[in-house]
Amino acid sequence: MTRTVILGAGIAGHTAALHLRRMVGKEHEIVVVSPNSKWNWIPSNIWVGVGQMTVKQVTFPLAPVYKRKNISFHQALAFELRPEGTSENPKPYVRIRYTDEARSGQEADLHYDYLITATGPKLNFGATPGLGPDGHTWSVCTAGHATEAAKAFDDVVAKLKGGEHQTLLIGMGHGTCTCQGAAFEYTFNVEHELVKEGVRDKAEVIYITNEERLGDFGMDGMNFGHKGDVIPSQSFTESLFQERGVKAILSAAVEKVDPGVVHYELVDGTKGEQAFDFAMLLPPFRGVDMQAFDRDGNDITGEVYAPSGFMKVDADYTAKPYEEWKASDWPKTYQSVRYDNVWAAGIAFAPPHQMSKPRTSPNGTVIAPAPPRTGMPSGVIGRAVAETIAGRIKHGAHGKVHTASMADMGAACIASAGKGWRTGTAAAMTVFPIIPDKEKYGEMGRDTNATYGEIGLSAHWMKVMLHYLFIYKAKARPFWYLIPE
Amino acid sequence: MSNLTTFPDARLATAGEIRARKNVLLQLVRFAVLNLKMIVMVTKGHH
Repeated sequence: MTRTVILGAGIAGHTAALHLRRMVGKEHEIVVVSPNSKWNWIPSNIWVGVGQMTVKQVTFPLAPVYKRKNISFHQALAFELRPEGTSENPKPYVRIRYTDEARSGQEADLHYDYLITATGPKLNFGATPGLGPDGHTWSVCTAGHATEAAKAFDDVVAKLKGGEHQTLLIGMGHGTCTCQGAAFEYTFNVEHELVKEGVRDKAEVIYITNEERLGDFGMDGMNFGHKGDVIPSQSFTESLFQERGVKAILSAAVEKVDPGVVHYELVDGTKGEQAFDFAMLLPPFRGVDMQAFDRDGNDITGEVYAPSGFMKVDADYTAKPYEEWKASDWPKTYQSVRYDNVWAAGIAFAPPHQMSKPRTSPNGTVIAPAPPRTGMPSGVIGRAVAETIAGRIKHGAHGKVHTASMADMGAACIASAGKGWRTGTAAAMTVFPIIPDKEKYGEMGRDTNATYGEIGLSAHWMKVMLHYLFIYKAKARPFWYLIPE
Repeated sequence: MSNLTTFPDARLATAGEIRARKNVLLQLVRFAVLNLKMIVMVTKGHH
């Protein structure tokens, strides 16, 4: 009998837990640790943020699903990793602190044979003074945050209806943010709602971003193949911004937020300010605050985790300039560099570098979109890690090692630009591979036959369909495993 | 000095393209095409 502990119940961790349960017998224990009691379909949070969905529609309790699937669940936060155990007992374990009402604050040790770290990101609002719901801006990173943003947005709409002019600022709250796609979606959903409410003419909608150009999305941009031509994602995105009257502040690192004013620095070193009545700015991500110790109690956090707090895995972390980056730098197995029974899946693994060219202002401010790791690769990685562990459990060291390099993987992304069965719009994008590979695909870095973008009502239907499909799958309803990640 | 950028040189969708984006019959066809494209992408992504 073995015990696999999975830290995190987001897309990567939850996918890994369900697949592993399916692959190994009941005598093998699977334990999920998550500080949250509910699963959240994060891509739909942007609809919660404009009042078009409720928290209940984008979340569900994890405990009943895990009980039904014979998976142990601890609502707790992991804070310490002991991959070598102690000098008295070499069995590895993680230390957890419960967050549920009954056991809040109590600590426990969870021994494991295999460990998957799928802890996702820490929302690092503290990186920018005044950023976040505890400061002067809103967020849609969690369903709770999105609900608060929706209430504030309602107030803005009421003021607009009262004849006041309002400025809505949406985008990146730091020079190293990722998830530009989510900010893009929220921008256009807000704009769509303003049109629906008949108050668009009184509102200024501004997108502030660390991207060098629109359509970069932290992926170094994309080139969409279209009827024999190639359309850069920059043209595709600029067209939508111009059509919908949304202005942008590009290459900006937000430095500080005061009530009603964002202070930023541009990549050329100039400083600027933007006044706002409503701001939804995403935070930068970092790894969760885990510490690691060897059997003698020596701190080995720096060997197990990168300075960003994400876990170091089988990537090439050698520092090198943008021009020398290769697709092969990216990890394949997601196994820890130091422990062969530990993996990091989804956002929890440390990427070797960005995808977009990092830039630094003359003042030394880094303006570099971090690489996005969306739901599809997170799910695929979670499944691959689960398959590797299942192989190890069944066949020992001879078990097949499954790979899921983002350099060999495509991704599909539906970016909503407004909700409504007849009036909705979204941009459907497919990209292959996720990581640009200039050795294989030339200067474009990607296969332009498989990299594709389209705007329309059908893409909105697709996003709605995926919402219901993935919640069905996450609830582990009959034949859930037939739905791909 | 304002750092707000607009994109006056961007190619705007034509009236026909905007109508097409909202045309339910055409979008049903595009929905089917998008599903196929997603399936291809999923197939490429799963090993």
